[in-house]
Amino acid sequence: MHGEYKMPGGKLVVIDLELHGDRLAKVQLSGDFFLEPDGALDLINRALEGQPAAATEAELARAIAGPLDSDVMMYGISPEAIAVAVRRALHKESAA
Amino acid sequence: MIRTDWRDHDWQLIHTTPQSPTLHMALDDVLTHEVGAGRRAPTLRIWEWASPAVVIGRFQSLRNEVDAEAAQRHGIEVVRRVSGGGAMFIEPGNTITYSIYAPKSLVKDLSFQEAYAFLDEWVLEALAELGIKAWYQPLNDITSEGGKIAGAAQVHRGGAVLHHVTMAYDIDAAKMLDVLRIGREKLSDKGTTSAAKRVDPLRSQTGLPREAVIEHMIATFRRLHGLGDGTLRMDELTQAETLAQSKFGSREWTADVA
Repeated sequence: MHGEYKMPGGKLVVIDLELHGDRLAKVQLSGDFFLEPDGALDLINRALEGQPAAATEAELARAIAGPLDSDVMMYGISPEAIAVAVRRALHKESAA
Repeated sequence: MIRTDWRDHDWQLIHTTPQSPTLHMALDDVLTHEVGAGRRAPTLRIWEWASPAVVIGRFQSLRNEVDAEAAQRHGIEVVRRVSGGGAMFIEPGNTITYSIYAPKSLVKDLSFQEAYAFLDEWVLEALAELGIKAWYQPLNDITSEGGKIAGAAQVHRGGAVLHHVTMAYDIDAAKMLDVLRIGREKLSDKGTTSAAKRVDPLRSQTGLPREAVIEHMIATFRRLHGLGDGTLRMDELTQAETLAQSKFGSREWTADVA
């Protein structure tokens, strides 16, 4: 399952994932955004792993932001934008 | 840390014979570290490419961005760089690439958006002198009335910021679209028929040879900020060659975001 979101004034945020039951699995965030330190990418992927497929954007954004240190730098991407891409990945599948 | 200005630093130029894509990736890593540690003066490096490449951003999905079969067919190496941003399609005579390795003090208190524009002010000046009206398009593009000219990316390491930029001197749009998947998707989205509409290269805008554009850019930097002629230290080159092989040439790194 694949979802993309071009953050307004930002970059392209891409999510690839699978559903195991009603939980997100094998979540991979990618895109042409800027994120430092680069290890934050794995933290975000792991934070999304196991989240309920029914989670709202706000719930997903909170789950993403939770484990990130305050010194993580995001440019062209945000927890909210990632949450939108996740919802789009899930929505496409249900619409198909 | 006090904010510094360009002229507070003793800028050094590195402009060598052509090097491989993986060595370029590794040199950016090593030289940023050296400037951050205070072992090297702030440096402007002009890249010369030994072979064609697709350079994908740190967080781009390899399979989403690149048609591996097409890249192989065209003899194009795919490498991943240390900074974020988008994929660059590189052919040696078609591209002008440079890196600025600056102490963080040079961009202290600037927003990311301001830091990108600030570190490329000299380039806009150089382009203006060549008759191209260009400006910064946030977040990280240099554009002109004709279209996009360049894309920039930054990464911070220790006490240094790396700011590197790839400019289109000329472009084989058909080959680029064959190799980059994202190009095709963007085209289908926008319903345009030519990638050349998005990118307007320097060759058509200046009518100058690539080498002349580079010479002019170097002269502008030298005039505005001061610039001595420097060289790569042997230990820097050795370290970069090791990293090029062990890290930047590895499948593990290139496919880190599959």
